[in-house]
Order: sequence, then structure tokens, then C-alpha cells
Amino acid sequence: MHALALLSAGIAFVGAIMVITRRVAVHAVLYLVVTLLAVAMVLALLGAAFAAMLEIIIYAGAIMVLFVFVVMMLNSGQPDAAREGEWLRPRAWAGPGVLAGLLCGELLYAATPFSGHAWPLAPLTARDVGLGLFGHYVLMVELASFLLLAGLISALHIGRNRVEDR
Amino acid sequence: MTLHDTFLPSPLLVLSAGIMLMLAGMAWRRSVVRGLSIGLVTELVALGMVTHHTGTVPDGSMGLFIQDHWTAFTAMLVLFSSACILLMSWRDLTDDGARPAEEYPLLLLLGTLGATAMVFSASYVPFFLGLEIVGISLMGLVAFNHRHFMRGCEAAMKYLILSGLSSAVLLFGMGLAYALTGSLRFAPPIPADGMPPAMAMVATVMILVGMFFKLSVVPFHMWLPDVMEGAPLPVAAFIAVVSKIAIFSTFVRYFGTGSLPPALNGMLYAVIILTILGGNLLALRQSSLTRLMACSSIAHVGYLLIAFLSPGPLQPGVITVYLVAYTVSTLGVFAVMCACSPSLSPNGAAITQWGGLFFTRPFMATAMSLMLLSLAGIPPGIGFFAKFGVAATGVARQRDLLLGALVTGSIMGLYYYLNIIRVMMKAPATPATKTAWRMEPELTTLVIVLTMIVVIGGLFPARIIHPFLPG
Repeated sequence: MHALALLSAGIAFVGAIMVITRRVAVHAVLYLVVTLLAVAMVLALLGAAFAAMLEIIIYAGAIMVLFVFVVMMLNSGQPDAAREGEWLRPRAWAGPGVLAGLLCGELLYAATPFSGHAWPLAPLTARDVGLGLFGHYVLMVELASFLLLAGLISALHIGRNRVEDR
Repeated sequence: MTLHDTFLPSPLLVLSAGIMLMLAGMAWRRSVVRGLSIGLVTELVALGMVTHHTGTVPDGSMGLFIQDHWTAFTAMLVLFSSACILLMSWRDLTDDGARPAEEYPLLLLLGTLGATAMVFSASYVPFFLGLEIVGISLMGLVAFNHRHFMRGCEAAMKYLILSGLSSAVLLFGMGLAYALTGSLRFAPPIPADGMPPAMAMVATVMILVGMFFKLSVVPFHMWLPDVMEGAPLPVAAFIAVVSKIAIFSTFVRYFGTGSLPPALNGMLYAVIILTILGGNLLALRQSSLTRLMACSSIAHVGYLLIAFLSPGPLQPGVITVYLVAYTVSTLGVFAVMCACSPSLSPNGAAITQWGGLFFTRPFMATAMSLMLLSLAGIPPGIGFFAKFGVAATGVARQRDLLLGALVTGSIMGLYYYLNIIRVMMKAPATPATKTAWRMEPELTTLVIVLTMIVVIGGLFPARIIHPFLPG
């Protein structure tokens, strides 16, 4: 179990370093997706399958789509076809592709019975998470909503002044 | 567990209700004065309810929040300082009628909510959430510098990155501690069976480093002067007072429950000496008043940590008095700065611009001198008594090195505090130009109240301090 988790963690680490060293935002996004998938894999190996699913759906899915959308909007009005061709050459997606392939192989291997991976007997389900969030930790959910409110208002204030000062 | 028996200290409830009310008001029609009034009323109501709570008090190890003498005292300090800061920003915000900046009181109230949540927390979860609420709302507040918007943004960016980094370190430490103890309650991690023995040490050090970053103790202090200089004056006071008190209160709650591992004592010694000497040395050569206050606040955290490291019968009282003295004196200096800096040309940022204040505005100059003397630890102010107490705890526990640092630091402190008073007493070179300064009733009242606390607390400390003493 340790070897598999360490492999995923290593992939997450390599991916994170590649994210902050890429010069093109879209290439960084590709590595970021792989990093998030690797983190989800670690969570799944620890028995938190539900958290792993959320990681993939929310971070690797929704937030990445939002990111790509913003990149598209910021670049509107420029010759897109050539630029996108430049972004998506094999050199750009080969690295993330290899890492993602490794992760996929690891997942398949861990799922087979002869891998010796001891899955936890009682994995955390959506029901457990929900009971925790809306039972013992319900006040923390409320506090987190105030945290999001603070972030929203700070971002609104800074962004609005930028536009006015231009 | 159902909602109606969830334990919740009332100030959190009142602050949340105030935030919702303010949001509802903003949706209806924007008005700064109404936002500020709602904020002030909310904070005063919360101040009156620090010892109340809803729901049943949890038994033993389950609860997320805790309520006792220490939380009541620190929550009162946090709410009182926050109300003072709201008053300080009043005129600055109402002047700018063209752009109603109602986000300011809202963010201030959110920051206070975060600080209060930290004060009341007994578990990692509310502590971390409160810490992040304070950090994120401070980012917005720091960028509220209307006159120098780019400088405010730069300071906000610095604050965001460094506070994010320290939160990450803190979170890592909490994760390791959770792996060791299996509980999210505050308890310094102890080595457990089947785990590497160094893990408890690493967890403790990481939590300490995260908290020290936020307290701006010396190896991690670089951000404080820059951020405070870029921020508007009341927000700088918020950083120096409210967020530090909240962190310090959790620090005491967290590390006061068990004894520190002996290996850490040496590290804390070094950190305290570095903090006192570093903060004072940095302050010596500052030409900007805000940066000087930032450096002096670094040094004062060092003095507080001496009292923390010397447990004994004196300790709770000394920490209480010191926190009151530091809060009131720092708030007083910032209130005078808010009152005077608009009439000083060009903006009152540099110390040399304060020349001759005793001739143009004698009352403000006298109040400022009293506050500075209190910070330096000279008798008429409450600061003398506080510093005396710190020295007494140090003597009781034979902390010779730390006492040496305290004495050296206080002597350096005398130089730069008295230097400001000297500049203010200098006769103005040009005959006093009658600058048009306006009546500012709220700031004058604030300065009078703070001065009275400083002087009466300095003359009759026992009477003022006694009700606040933790049991």
C-alpha cells in the first residue's frame, strides 16, 4: 500500500513542480489536472473514495473548465487557430499524458486482487461525510461560508478598483 | 445532535447576524454611514455578550468551542479594538461620498468574526477557519488605500502570499498532529506507538512556525512593516492589534495545556531574544511612523513571549495586563495618527513631518506622548506596570538571558519613542501656518477614552485589572 501511495504522491509532486515552471498557462493547466488526479488517487488508496470523487469532479472538472474558459476569454480577438496549434503540439501534452498513463496503470493494478493492496474494510461513504458535515461540524460549514464571503468581497473590491483606474 | 443544542458562544452569533444585516442593507441601498453604524452597534452588542452562549455546554472532549475567563478577556479586547478601529476609519470613509465603500465595514466585521472564532476555538477546525477569514478579509482591507491604490495592492499581494505560505505550514503541522493523536482538539502532539518519534517534534515545530509567522516573530517578521506601511492607518492598527491578540490567545490556549518538550525551550529562547533585539534594532533607524510602530509591535510580542515562557502564580495576571497595555497604547497612537495626519503636509507618514505638533495641536501631542511613554514603559502609563510584571515573572523563573534582552530592548525602545516626542516638541521653523483642521468629535472622544484608560490603569492598576483576572 505504501509503495502505491508513494508513487501517486511522487506524481503529484512532479506535476506540481511542472505547473509552476511552465511558461504557457495552458500547459500548466494540463499538469495541474494530472496533479489533482494524483492527489485523488492518494485519497482513494487511503479509503476516502468519496473525497477522491469530489476532488476529480470539482477541482479537475469544474474549476479547470472555468480556468480554460477564462484563458479563452482573455485571448479573444487574436489569431486563435495558430496559437492553439502552438499550445497543443505533442511536446506539450506528452508529459502530462505519460504521468496520467502511469496513474491509470496504478489504479488498474491496485484494483486487481493479486496486487496485495489492502483496501480498508469500511470506506468512508457520502453518508458518513454528510453526517459529519451537517451534524457535528455544521457550525464549521457556516464559518466556511463566511470565509468564502470574505474572499468574494475582497476579490470584488480589488477587481473593481482596477477597472476604474484604467 | 440537533441544531438547537449546538454550543455556540453568543458573540459569534451576534457578529454573523450583523454581517447578514449589513449585506441585506447593501442589497437595498448603498450607504457608508449605515454600514458603519450597523458595524459599530454589532460590535458593542457582541462586546456585551462575551460571557453568554447558546446551546448546552459540551462535556469533555467533544466541543469545537470553549468559553472561560481567558476567552472572555481576549474576546473583549478583540471586540473593543475592532470598535475603536471602526471609529478611526469613520471620517476617511464618509469623506469619499462619490464612491461608497461599504465593503470596508463589512470586511472589518468579517475579520472580527474570524478573530473571535479563533479566540473561542478549542479545536483545529474553527481555529484554522477563523485564521483564514482574518487573512482573506485583511487582504481586501489592506487594498483599501484610496490615495495610493497601487501601493495598497502591492501590500495586499505580499500579505496574501506570505499568509498563504504560513497557513500551509500550519496546516501541515496540524495534519501531522492529527495523525499522531487522532483528535482535532487542541493538545500538543506527543510521540505515539508505531509512529516515527521525530514526528511529534516536526508537528510541533511546524505549528509553532505557522503561528510565529502570523505573530511576526523575528525570523518571520519581514512582511509586517511593508504591509502596515501600504495599508490605510486603521487597517494597520487592525493588523498590529486584533489579529495578533487572536493568534496569541490561541497560542496560549494551545501550548498552555501541556508542558513544551525540553528541546523546544532552547528554540523559544533564541526566538524571543532575536525578536526583542531584532524588533528594536529595526525600529531605531525608521523614518516612517507606521513602520516604526510595526517594528515596535514586533518587539512587544517578544516581551509577551517572555511572560508566556515563565509559568508561575504571576503569569496569568501579567499576560492580562500586558495585553491591555499593548492594545490600548497602540490603538491610542494610531488614533492620534488618524486625527493628525491629514492636516500634516504632505501626509504625515514621515516622523519629521510631526515637528511642532505641541504648538499646533497641544492636546493631541500630549496624548501621543502619553501613549508613547506607556509603550516605552515609563510610569504615568499602564505600560510601566505591564513591563514591570514581565520582568517580575522572568526574575521568579531565573530567566537571566531573557531579562538581559528585555533590558537592552527597553533601552533601545526609549531612544526611538522619546525621539518622536522630541520631534513634536521642536519649535516649528516657519511661524505656525494656520492649517484648516476640522472638528473630529469621534476621534477626540476615542483619544480621550484611551488616554484615560492608560493613565488610570497606570495609577490604579489593581482596580482596573482585577475584574479581568482569569480564575
